Amino acid sequence: MAHEGHNALHDLLAVRGVTRRDFLKYCGSIAAALGLSETMAPQIAAALEGAPKLLPTLWLNGGSCSGCTESIAQVDSPDVATIVLDYLSTNYFETIMAAAGEQAEKQLSDTIAAGGYLVIYEGSVMTGQDGNTLLVAGKKGTEILSEAAAGAAAVIAVGSCAVDGGWVYGYPNPAEATGVQAWLNHEGITTPVVNLPSCPVNPEWIVAMVVQLLLVAGGDVATFVEKTEWLTRSYTDRKYGAVDLLMPKGIFGQSIHDNCPRRGHFENGEFVTEFGSKEEAMGYCLYKMGCKGPQTFTNCPIVRWNRRTSWCVEAGSPCIGCGGLNWVDNNAPFFHRLSDMQMGDALGNVQPGTVGAVVGGVAAAALVAHGLGMKAAGRVGDGPPMEEMKAYDRKRLAKKGGDK
Amino acid sequence: MTRAVIDPVTRIEGHLRVECEVTDGVVKDAWVSGQLYRGMETVMLDRQPEDAFYVTQRICGVCPISHSHASSMSTEAALGIAIPNNARLIRNLLEAAQFLHSHILWFYTLAALDYVSPINALSADIADTYALAQAAGTRVADFGAIAKRLTAFAENGQLSFLGGHYWDHPGYVLPPELDLIATAHYLEALEMQAVANEIVAVIGGKFPHPMTSVPGGTAFVPTEQKLDDILFNFIRVKEFIDTALIPDTLAIAPFILETTTYGGGCGNFLSWGVFEAADMDAYNRFLPRGFVTGGLKVEEVGPDDVTEYVEHSWYDSASGLNPSKGETHVKFDEYNTDAKYTYGKSARCKEKPAEVGPLARMVNAYVYEAGGKSLVPDEWAGSVRTPKALIDLTLEALGVAGKPEILVSLLGRVAARNLEAAYVADLALMWVGELVGGIQGGDSEFFKARETFDGAGSGLWEAPRGSVGHWIDIKGNKIKGYQVVAPTTWDIAPRDAAGVLGPMEQALVGAPVFDVERPLEMLRIAHSFDP
Repeated sequence: MAHEGHNALHDLLAVRGVTRRDFLKYCGSIAAALGLSETMAPQIAAALEGAPKLLPTLWLNGGSCSGCTESIAQVDSPDVATIVLDYLSTNYFETIMAAAGEQAEKQLSDTIAAGGYLVIYEGSVMTGQDGNTLLVAGKKGTEILSEAAAGAAAVIAVGSCAVDGGWVYGYPNPAEATGVQAWLNHEGITTPVVNLPSCPVNPEWIVAMVVQLLLVAGGDVATFVEKTEWLTRSYTDRKYGAVDLLMPKGIFGQSIHDNCPRRGHFENGEFVTEFGSKEEAMGYCLYKMGCKGPQTFTNCPIVRWNRRTSWCVEAGSPCIGCGGLNWVDNNAPFFHRLSDMQMGDALGNVQPGTVGAVVGGVAAAALVAHGLGMKAAGRVGDGPPMEEMKAYDRKRLAKKGGDK
Repeated sequence: MTRAVIDPVTRIEGHLRVECEVTDGVVKDAWVSGQLYRGMETVMLDRQPEDAFYVTQRICGVCPISHSHASSMSTEAALGIAIPNNARLIRNLLEAAQFLHSHILWFYTLAALDYVSPINALSADIADTYALAQAAGTRVADFGAIAKRLTAFAENGQLSFLGGHYWDHPGYVLPPELDLIATAHYLEALEMQAVANEIVAVIGGKFPHPMTSVPGGTAFVPTEQKLDDILFNFIRVKEFIDTALIPDTLAIAPFILETTTYGGGCGNFLSWGVFEAADMDAYNRFLPRGFVTGGLKVEEVGPDDVTEYVEHSWYDSASGLNPSKGETHVKFDEYNTDAKYTYGKSARCKEKPAEVGPLARMVNAYVYEAGGKSLVPDEWAGSVRTPKALIDLTLEALGVAGKPEILVSLLGRVAARNLEAAYVADLALMWVGELVGGIQGGDSEFFKARETFDGAGSGLWEAPRGSVGHWIDIKGNKIKGYQVVAPTTWDIAPRDAAGVLGPMEQALVGAPVFDVERPLEMLRIAHSFDP
């Protein structure tokens, strides 16, 4: 990590044949993902270029499917992204690192011993079987997380599994999965945790957070936390109790429904009622197919996926709300437009038993009442002010002890 | 007698431990341990069949498409749904994109660093590198710029994900010029695997975890523009396979020919079959169903031939069950190679350990073609290189023509994966044409709604890394039973009730280990299965 010097990144870019123009373009896309105006691109570039040294990073895989690793491998303009990620020195990253076994574990322990590193955590925290549902090099996964997080400058929990246990936490949660924040609360570890839910994480968001850390504070986490606009989302873990999650507002502040390109058809009452139909070919609204866009708060319609190629709704599937909390229990059955009827006992598991494509009348009315007309997707910075949470969603989430 | 251990095995999906007993530099016994339990099968209970399509693919972030297809197929079998022809082709395209993504990612990102040293590439002569690339017929890059980039990387002391590895191991035998070529293609592969996934995003919304192959067909309705995007990206990926993946394989192979002498494993090859043909017969899939055991004898095989044993696994459910009656009751005990040592169940086919994956599929396809049958329609013959032709050409290029048995080895397993990519890329272009033709001919059916809410069935399919099966039991529109036998379940299977080693364990036995502290050969064998 001897990459000292004021223009370290600049040199790196030059030697790797990346033009200034490419780099600024990339900084612009980071700005968009952050919810900042693209006019911030030069400042982002300046922050990157001025950073004094590489930030050592440990990417830890908990009870994961490696889907979030796959996701980061799909990020836009990979050469530049590689540099931004090289800019983090990924000393430990099981899925891609050359070293294995003892040699890999030494990378981990050396980095922890040196301190001043960032942890990116993918996958659920596995507490089942007394913590033995995940073993790495003879240690429990929970022990590795605690040890790494305690000495870290910050933790970024990527993907729904890391945020709250994800699908693995789905009832009856046989492996007793939980999220990073819940686990660290339990352990009394106060390292700040940034939460990026969704299954998988959108890679642009990781890059955005890393740059935010450098842009706002030159790597100083306290300043990063203080200066970034956050929202707090709360939930109750069935084993570990109430948890407050810190999330960047620029990414998770607005619902998918608000920014959906199919929103106009919702306003017009034009719906798809069967897959592969003529209505789907016309791009009608998927609300009646069970779309969870109205109750799911991510910027998917703006940032999209796989280098902005497409996203779930564009391809013809209703949103299944994978960016929400406890998303499987709260949103399945996915094809039911019945979220206002979710009963949810203490275990949060009772699902509506009714069969058929019923549109919840109350939910529809609430949505129409709050619908402010179609908004232009992709606006950032100078758009209209962000809406506060809708009454409909506040009511629904309140049942889960949710958002304030 | 020494125990050599790799824990964790990195550059894989998941958490794996490999332990071997080594005597006089040779592996005498082996134990492969899955180190993670999540409990997907239990989470699915009492939910609805469509939920299984969306959720079970989250078992694996590298092969979610195959899991989602097996899940939808199990529901379709249970509820008696035959998907429309357009959906068949769209699923084939989605699956093909994932195969190409996965095989490229596997060879360059996951496996190559077992053979290729980017550090050694620093001493490459640039002019010689160009000459070598030309001679090998492999893709030329700006080798000078890449060498500079690597030098800057090394001089910064910024080894990042390349740090801590034993690059000085004598197993790294490639000339620096070939290391430089392969490193250049390592970087390019990062781009190409993502291009393959742009196809997935067009059809399925995103990768990983695409959204559209719902039970009944597909939710994706293509437009002309989207079909263009799909075709164009397949052409780009195919070009990379033909100009990098295949020639790189042939260029590296002569330096590591000793890897044809070990790593073969159990010699039983299972394929459920993948890429549906128009007749929807699993034995006629473009990579056909079959179970090949000693002597290239192929047998029919189906869902009832599967048994899972848990004598050496951390479960206290009954052993020897077929997945249709399967149970998953986790119970951790200490790690003990004499007793229980893994979360993996011991899957057996007709009571035998079975290797799954590209080598198993290519062996099955080879036997199919050797029996005089044609894998593709006659009119495609000029456009598609089929498995037997690809294998025979490769054997000839390596100077071992007429000896397909040499493929049952470490090197064979590596080569089979890359040759399969070439076949699948050729097929994909044909399927795009077929889909366009069908739509232009007026076929506008993509989805069939179900009419029943009860039934049981299985979906047997192939992921890039091997055979995947989902078993579902639906009563009153609720899932009452769900079992998955994933590819890795087959390959990393522990000993069964009779004490017979699993496929990866058998492949490890007999392998040389030059240095038990740096067991590169064991790492190579583990990686060859893409576990």
